[in-house]
Amino acid sequence: MTIPADIKYTKDHEWVRIEGDTATFGISDHAQEALGDIVFVELPEIGRTIDAGEAYAVVESVKAVSDVYAPVAGEVIEVNEMLEGEPEKVNTDAYGSGWIARVKISGEASLELMSDDEYTTFLEE
Amino acid sequence: MSELAKTPLFDEHVTAGGKIVPFAGFEMPVQYGAGALKEYTAVREGSAGIFDITHMGQVRVSGADALPFLQYVTTNDVSKLASGQVHYSALLNEAGTFIDDITTYKISDNEYYLCINAANRLKDVAHLQEQAAAFDVIISDESDDTTLLALQGAAAQSALQPLVDTDLETIGYYRFAQVKLSGIDAIISRTGYTGEDGFELYFPNAQAVDVWKQLLTNGADPIGLAARDMLRTEMGYALYGHEISDAVTPVEAKLMWITKLDKGDFIGKAAVEARKAAGPKQRLVAIKLTGRGIPREHYKVFADGTLSGEVTSGMFSPMAGGVALAYVKPEHATSGELSVEIRGKAVPAERTTLPFVRSNVRR
Repeated sequence: MTIPADIKYTKDHEWVRIEGDTATFGISDHAQEALGDIVFVELPEIGRTIDAGEAYAVVESVKAVSDVYAPVAGEVIEVNEMLEGEPEKVNTDAYGSGWIARVKISGEASLELMSDDEYTTFLEE
Repeated sequence: MSELAKTPLFDEHVTAGGKIVPFAGFEMPVQYGAGALKEYTAVREGSAGIFDITHMGQVRVSGADALPFLQYVTTNDVSKLASGQVHYSALLNEAGTFIDDITTYKISDNEYYLCINAANRLKDVAHLQEQAAAFDVIISDESDDTTLLALQGAAAQSALQPLVDTDLETIGYYRFAQVKLSGIDAIISRTGYTGEDGFELYFPNAQAVDVWKQLLTNGADPIGLAARDMLRTEMGYALYGHEISDAVTPVEAKLMWITKLDKGDFIGKAAVEARKAAGPKQRLVAIKLTGRGIPREHYKVFADGTLSGEVTSGMFSPMAGGVALAYVKPEHATSGELSVEIRGKAVPAERTTLPFVRSNVRR
């Protein structure tokens, strides 16, 4: 399991990479491993405004349906359409080609975000 | 909740990377390290998958009245079974609804062997014992002593043959033989729940680990409950608690082919005949989503925009996409535009035929 240092994590096992006023979202390696084989991803619509903590996407494994929560608030400006045909990218490259959506950050609203070290500690607890 | 049981293979599942979950009162592997999709693919694409299904129950019925007893308590026509033959059948209550679905093995004129669902075991055995009072039969619940493995897939026969003293080629579809498996007495039938060629092996618990290890050595891949459910759903095979339950009769469940109304009296017959005459309250249909999504159990099914029923088993099939078995109002079994409600949205679906993917059983 990998936990990159350049991104932040939530207690719900989402990750966020903030670059200027945009943020990219995905689920952590720990999350994909716990879910098992991802066979379907429901992406948000471009232009949708989402609050921090709001369910903005759904990932489905063979047996389970799971909501994915937004780490920060924003307007969806891009979604990873590749996941419609290759949802398994969430399993094989959770922090790279398995990203789910990109938002233009609006306001300060945010879930509690952890550094890689804090997330590592969180997972051990 | 009472403590969960373990099969004799529990430690082997853990060793093989099994992710253990509670299932029908047992701690069972839902998947192993490679994941459910890889396990599914192994079975569908030529390997041999080995499934620990020891949680299922086995009941031996013996005595002079074994045949009339089973004719009375099960739905299929037991008089048509030859020794060494198996058939799919069911136990109904007087209301004509399902106590369980079972397989019946004819060992001899006075001896039969039933395989029953784990979750229904105590209920089934109590029912059989109660009904047995009027017959000269002995009911023995052998579940606790019996290991049951399914070995499924194109390579099943070649993986199993070295362990068995009988030429497996001589065992036809839904036939069985009493053989020596690794030197011990076993029942091996050419049956399964996957739509692939393969066998089910019944033998004493003491040999479970030895047989399991030998089959792995012979190339079999361990398969968990998640892949097992994918494989059975693709075939449209009913699962108790989903397509069948004590709320439906064989008329609704499309299981009149195992319910022989012409064989004489049996428990539930009058109720089934009445339901057949009145028409079913709902009908089981096979559907395939034409829009994106995965239909899941209990999702609502609509016909022409009005609520018609719900999904009983649904899945993402790597070969067929989003597919499901669902109960709908009788008129919607054949007409009306169907859709499945997924997270508040109507996803269009079409009726299809079973199985959802090609069956490779050896008929």
